[in-house]
Amino acid sequence: MIDLNAYLGHFAFRQLRYNTADGLLRLMDRKRIERAAVSSAAAITYRNPQAGNEEVAAEVKAHRDRLIPFAVLNPAYAGWRDDLKICQEEFGVRGLRLYPRWHNYRLTDCPCLDLVHAAAERGLPVSIPIRVEDRRQQSWLVDIPDVNLEEIATLIKAAPRASFVLVSGSGFVNSSLGRPNSGLPANYAVEISLLTAELENEIGQLVNTLGEDRVVFGTGMPFHYPDPALTKLEILDVSESVKEKIRSANAARLLKL
Amino acid sequence: MPKSPAIPRRAFLEGVGLIGGGALASPAPAAPAKVIDVHDHLKHHSNPAWREGDRKLIDAADKLGIDQLCCSILAPEHPAAPESFRQCNLWTAAAMQRFPGRILGYCYVNPGYTREALQEIRRCVEDRGFMGIKLYNDYQASEPVLWPVVELAIQLRVPILQHAGHPSWLPHPQPRISDGSHLSALARRYPEAMLICAHICGGGDWEWEIKALRSAPTVYLDTSGSVLDEGVVEMAVRILGSDRLLFACDTSLTASVGRIRGADISESDRAKILGGNMQKILSRRGTR
Repeated sequence: MIDLNAYLGHFAFRQLRYNTADGLLRLMDRKRIERAAVSSAAAITYRNPQAGNEEVAAEVKAHRDRLIPFAVLNPAYAGWRDDLKICQEEFGVRGLRLYPRWHNYRLTDCPCLDLVHAAAERGLPVSIPIRVEDRRQQSWLVDIPDVNLEEIATLIKAAPRASFVLVSGSGFVNSSLGRPNSGLPANYAVEISLLTAELENEIGQLVNTLGEDRVVFGTGMPFHYPDPALTKLEILDVSESVKEKIRSANAARLLKL
Repeated sequence: MPKSPAIPRRAFLEGVGLIGGGALASPAPAAPAKVIDVHDHLKHHSNPAWREGDRKLIDAADKLGIDQLCCSILAPEHPAAPESFRQCNLWTAAAMQRFPGRILGYCYVNPGYTREALQEIRRCVEDRGFMGIKLYNDYQASEPVLWPVVELAIQLRVPILQHAGHPSWLPHPQPRISDGSHLSALARRYPEAMLICAHICGGGDWEWEIKALRSAPTVYLDTSGSVLDEGVVEMAVRILGSDRLLFACDTSLTASVGRIRGADISESDRAKILGGNMQKILSRRGTR
C-alpha cells in the first residue's frame, strides 16, 4: 500500500505525534502501509520552505526504501528554481507540494505556472493539499480557506503536460474536476482521505467519472488517523482489482516506482 | 432486512479489539457490547430523496458494524417553530417504526417555546419511546431558558444531546452555538442531568473543548465529526476518562469508525466508548 499524503516534522498550530521518520514508520507498520510520500509540515508556515525540505531530506535519508520525499516550494519566494534543482538532484524528491493559500499566491499566477512547467520538465508530479486544517479550528492567528477547486481546474487546463495529485480535499463531484466531460486533461488524480465511501460515496462517483486509474490512496498522517482512509477502502463498493489500483498501482505509476 | 455487511460484525469487533483474535485484542477482552452511534441524523422530508438517504445510512451502518443509531431530524430553519420541530419528531417516530431496534429517536425541540417543547418531549419520550432530547443552536446551553427542559430530562431519565463546537475565531456563523464551557456551567447547576456535548471532531478547537470539560465530570462527549485529527480520542481519554466518551458519527461514518479503530487506547476503554457507556445511559430509562 502506498500513501500519497503523509508528513514529517512539526506543525505550527498543533502538536503532531508520529512525525519523525521512526515514528511514522512505526505507525505505517501497524497499519500495513509499505510506502508513503512525505513532505515537511513545518514548511507550511516557514517563510523559507526549503529549510523544511532540508529537514525532511535528513530525516528520510536512511529510509528511502519506504519514505518518498516531496518538496514544498513557494513560487512567490526567492530562489525556488535553485531549491527545485537541489531538491531533485541532491535530496531525490519525487514530487512537489504547493500551499497557495498558506503561502499567499494564486495557482494561476505566472510564477506558479512557471514552477508547474519546471516540475513537468523534471517529471515531478505536483501535489496540492486542498486543506491543512478545518477552517473552524484554525488558530486565531490565521484564517486560511480551502484551495478553490475551480482555481485548480484552471491550472490543470493551463498545464496539460504536468501531473497533479489533489489531496485532503472533498466536493470534487460538484466541481469541474469531478464532472464527466469537463474538458479538462486527464493529468490529475484525487486522493481519498477526506472523501466519502458511504452515503454520497464520492470515491465511487470519482472512480466512475475520472476512471479507476485516477483515484489514489492517502491518509494525511500524522495530521490524521490513517484508519478512516483504510476503512473507506475496505467498504468501497468496487472490485478488488480496482481497490488494488487505488491502494498502490496508481501511485506507483504516478511516482514512476 | 439489512444487507450483508461488508465488514462482518465479528470482524469489526475483532478489528477494534472487542473480541479476541484481532490485531489489537487485549489479553482479557471486554464482553462484546452493542456498537451504538449516539449522534446521527435522518433526512428532513423536504428532501425528495429522504427515503433513499435514510436507507443509505442504515446500509452504511450495516457495513460498518454499527448496531444502533440514535437519530434526530432537524428543521432547516432556525430558530425552529413548534410546528416544525413537531413535524420533525413525527418523521423520526416513523423511522423508528421502519427500522425497529436500529433507529432510536431523539426528540428535537427549541427550548425557547417552553410549553410546547415540554409537551413535545413528554409525548415523544412517554408515548413514542424516544430515548433522549436533541438541542441545536437556538440557545447556548448555559442560558436559563434550557432549565425547564433539563428538569424534565432528569425526571424522565433521558440524556440531552447538545449541538456544540468551539471556534477559535469570531464572529461565528452560529452566534449561539454552545461549547464545553456552556455545558460545564449547565452541569454545575444540574449535576444529575445526563448531558452530551456533541461532535468533538465536528470542526472546532477540540483541544479547547476537552480542556473546558475537564471540570464537568457529569458531561459526556461524543466522538463524531468529519475532522480526522490524530490524537483526539487519546487526549479525551487522558483528560476526561473513557467513561465519559460516547461513539458517534453525525453522518461521517467512516471517519468516526476509523477514529475509534485507530485510537491508541486500551480495549476496555474502546468497548466503553463504542457502546458500553451508552448502554448504561439508555438503561436508566429502560430503552433498548
